[in-house]
Amino acid sequence: MAFGYHGCVLRIDVSCGRAERVPLDETVLRGFLGGSGLGARLLLDEGWAAGDPLAPEAPLVFAFSPLVGSPLTTSAKFAVVSKSPLTGRINDSLASSGFAVAGKGCGGDAIVVVGRAPEWSVLVIDASETAADELPTVRLEPADEYRGATCRDTEAAFRARLGPGFRVASIGPAGERMVRYATISHDGRHAGRGGSGAVLGAKRIKAIAVRGKRRVDWAQPVQLTALSRDLSKRSFGPATAKYRELGTAANLLTFNRFGALPTRNFQTGTFEGAANISPEQLSVTRAKTRESCVACTIGCEHIYATSNGSVRVEYENLFALGSLCGVTDADFVLAASRRCDELGLDTISAGGTIAFAMECVERGWLDAPWLTFGSGEALLRALDLIGGREGLGALLAEGSRRAAAVIGHDSIAIAPQVKGLEIPGYEPRALQTMALGFAVGARGADHNRSGAYEVDFSDKVDRRHVTLDAVRYAIETEDKAALMDSLILCKFLRGVFDDFYGESAIMLRAVTGWDVSAEEMRETARRIVAAKREFNLRAGWTPAEDTLPERFLNTPLPNDPAASLSRERLDALVAEYHRQRGW
Amino acid sequence: MHVEFLGVSRERAGIPELEMHAATLGQLLGALLVRLPSLAEIIEDERLHPAFVANVNGDRFVRDPATPLRDDDHVLILSADAGG
Repeated sequence: MAFGYHGCVLRIDVSCGRAERVPLDETVLRGFLGGSGLGARLLLDEGWAAGDPLAPEAPLVFAFSPLVGSPLTTSAKFAVVSKSPLTGRINDSLASSGFAVAGKGCGGDAIVVVGRAPEWSVLVIDASETAADELPTVRLEPADEYRGATCRDTEAAFRARLGPGFRVASIGPAGERMVRYATISHDGRHAGRGGSGAVLGAKRIKAIAVRGKRRVDWAQPVQLTALSRDLSKRSFGPATAKYRELGTAANLLTFNRFGALPTRNFQTGTFEGAANISPEQLSVTRAKTRESCVACTIGCEHIYATSNGSVRVEYENLFALGSLCGVTDADFVLAASRRCDELGLDTISAGGTIAFAMECVERGWLDAPWLTFGSGEALLRALDLIGGREGLGALLAEGSRRAAAVIGHDSIAIAPQVKGLEIPGYEPRALQTMALGFAVGARGADHNRSGAYEVDFSDKVDRRHVTLDAVRYAIETEDKAALMDSLILCKFLRGVFDDFYGESAIMLRAVTGWDVSAEEMRETARRIVAAKREFNLRAGWTPAEDTLPERFLNTPLPNDPAASLSRERLDALVAEYHRQRGW
Repeated sequence: MHVEFLGVSRERAGIPELEMHAATLGQLLGALLVRLPSLAEIIEDERLHPAFVANVNGDRFVRDPATPLRDDDHVLILSADAGG
């Protein structure tokens, strides 16, 4: 087997607690690497693309990577891959930290979970007392007493109960109730988008606990150490200063300045309360600390004190629970962000769905007069209803696309989603390369699988009048993201690479010993993107899905009439994208 | 012209905005460095570090030091890495 890998998958059926080691061919590993790529390939092999993602048979893949456990900065990450209950398409979400290291230490390059436990359980995988060539101990322990517990409390309780060395990924109340955008949480971070928490909840698994220290060998350990030292050094430079000093929240005032900050359910692109909820202002009025994931030298996490405890602040939280819902009071925005963490809710889909409902109320399409733009109390109430699937929350727990189908009035035109996944904080009319990235995204509207916004903030395109020239740039960012999510390295490093594919090849060669080239890395990235599309094709994807809601087409942004995207132009961009992809 | 700092550049500059006079982007950057030495990490030899970019009037993103500027332009200095 290649260096850097165990060469097998741990496949566990939680219906009966049976576990097996399934060998992985080296050609599969070299072709799909790990993380999102390996997860997509394994998901295809499971053959459940056309099945119900919440059925017992539906597979849920936790995929590690060749770099996990290496000294390369930011490499302690894992991907959670499944069919999304929100979109019905492939979903790959990434999270960081000790679960990745301990999970790979259990002796597999991925863990595939199928089945449904007879009762609420914690799935325990323990390789600490078994030989390297043996299966780790796999067992289910009762977890009924933890039903309703927050992600944080669940993780703490199981770590205390199971003993030292265990790392725990859990779901909150939203996952238990199969809210379609529930997360899987670990160490305060979330595999956030697309509802992987609902898939785990459908299996009656409250948490997965892993403990293991099985190591893989590296092909060129001396060179790997030198590469790691160099990468860490570069990670302290100007290219990552934004993440260290202000965090992703630094986007808020910038996007507002460019009229690209989605506001009140994408009705406009500037928010009068932006300064109130900006990190620049939050830093003045609140105590702040900074944290890092395991094995990370960047330290992008900015944690602010609130009256109810601390909360990690990201741009997407501030946008989705702030400007998108019209909430200007930072106390409410931070409280809502913390509530999402506790319930195990994707902040983007939660905020997007609530903002959509607020506009439906405003238009008289939904009878919930309390749910108004700008009301922090209403925002918190809506989150609790969603987490409990109570009252209106039962509808909103389904996401904006399904909610629109029930509400009617052609409200789908203003539902802020693509393929059912709520749109992140990038106004598509003001950032039109990103608009294309959203439209064609395999898992729906997504800023992590397409970094096309980078193109809009460059001299390569006119962001408000993009032409077909933008397509190759959008493809480039999508390919790069696919490779980073499969190696896995944090995208916040992307600015430090002069030659990303070449440097990736050198790192992979040091770990695995494969004689890989930059060109092979490019081909691998394209293969991974194609694998996701293949899954979607088997799940029923049609080209008509690669579009944006009607709101964004032919209606200029009120704050910036020059920001207008016609259906004809978007269709042409998408067609060119398909052509260049060879689809 | 009016110069506005966003994000990290504002942290470095210590001020949100100021008025300057320059005929080109390179001249502006050079003058900014003289006025605000704390921008040294961002500006080198009348050029922006690759992690940063300039924008003129909310329309064009520019890097070329020879880019002509007018006195009524509004120049933004921000991180090139806009997302997250």
